[in-house]
Amino acid sequence: MAEQSVLTVNIVTPDGSVYEEQTTMAIFKTTVGEIGVLPNHIPLLASLQIDEVRVKIDGTDDKFEEIAVSGGFVEFSNNIATVVANSAERKENIDSDRAERARKRAEEKLARAKQEHDVDTLRRAEVSLRRAVNRLNISKH
Amino acid sequence: MGASLQEVKRRISSTKKTEQITGAMQMVSTAKLSQIQRHTTSYHVYADKIRSVITHLAQTHLLDGKVVSDSASTPKKNKDQVSGLDMLTKRDVKHTGIVVITSDRGLVGSYNSNVIKQTMELIKNAGHTTDDTVIIALGGTGADFFKKRGYNVAFEYRGINDIPKFRDTQQLVKKIVGMYDDETYDELFVCYNHFVNTLTSEFRAEQMLPISAINIGDDDLTQKSDEEYAPVYEMEPSQDAILEVVLPQYAESLIYGAILDAKTSEHASSSTAMKSATDNAKDIISSLELQFNRARQSAITTEITEITGAQAALD
Repeated sequence: MAEQSVLTVNIVTPDGSVYEEQTTMAIFKTTVGEIGVLPNHIPLLASLQIDEVRVKIDGTDDKFEEIAVSGGFVEFSNNIATVVANSAERKENIDSDRAERARKRAEEKLARAKQEHDVDTLRRAEVSLRRAVNRLNISKH
Repeated sequence: MGASLQEVKRRISSTKKTEQITGAMQMVSTAKLSQIQRHTTSYHVYADKIRSVITHLAQTHLLDGKVVSDSASTPKKNKDQVSGLDMLTKRDVKHTGIVVITSDRGLVGSYNSNVIKQTMELIKNAGHTTDDTVIIALGGTGADFFKKRGYNVAFEYRGINDIPKFRDTQQLVKKIVGMYDDETYDELFVCYNHFVNTLTSEFRAEQMLPISAINIGDDDLTQKSDEEYAPVYEMEPSQDAILEVVLPQYAESLIYGAILDAKTSEHASSSTAMKSATDNAKDIISSLELQFNRARQSAITTEITEITGAQAALD
């Protein structure tokens, strides 16, 4: 396998491929911390947090494109990084009003679950809150 | 003869109206079919990826390395099990979960009866009774059928979108997978019509849970040996943690895939059914028109005979 100077980042969801670009660096937030992947990284498999995937825009020094992903995992081999997640959105596709509403809803649910000591709902509300906050953060970048 | 003429005329116009409706419905179904087929292609990208990761995991790490402890007694069978994680362990089967995917409405030809009939056969052949079967009905027709026969319908859902997006079905699919954790059922079959082409669909019953090498796909496992490069992954944080993430996602995607497939074949059979209805309407119209013309002709003949008869009498 020849040495390459770029890697391809591909983000797929059940509703189709959301993102496919070449880059020189991609940064993933895994469940145990941030991982930066450069071309010719060894094969990697990592579970992701509900957070952003940062992909360096080709040809720039320090500009990154952020894509919101809702968990899932990343698989890297042969210079192709594939993020497999239940949902993912590029910055320009995020509906910030909808995310804001989702955040409010999740917060309300969280407060209610805390009062009622409903562990199950609490956990679920936390996850949806994280998803909404993640979307909002990225859309405000 | 006049009344009958009127009658035939009315029947022709009413059949024409029906034909128009079925023709429109056929076009709608065909449009939906092509939409969902486009969507299915993009889903396959995702499904293939997740499946190849699972196969990789199974290949490079689990199948040869760690064989689960309880496999010692029957090593051959349990080699399929790749980890001690929940979705991979076979439990004693107390309840069998069967997801039956049907349509909500009729007008889809033999689509529903096909699924239901074959599902009943499956239940019968496996020797299940109403007590140890848990039905999860997606679609109203199946729900009504199994409820009427006294099966335990643990969950029913009506109104799946015509082009189901994963985001819409996520809650539903999560719920179904969640029932495995709650031990509502110990193994899960999904029964649906697989879309072959516009004219044919084929019944499929697939075991989806617990996950084993069988439903990951034999062909993938055998193909792997031809591939020259199967990388050994660096795992972050750990293999079990990744499996913990991947497996539920895999199970969800399998069920979603089945729903998509079933919907595709539903649109196909609806389109075929509507097409034959339109054709039948055309046949009826042409035979009615023939009848109408004959009746009209004979009315005219009678009239002429009467007139000439009267003329002859006058002369």
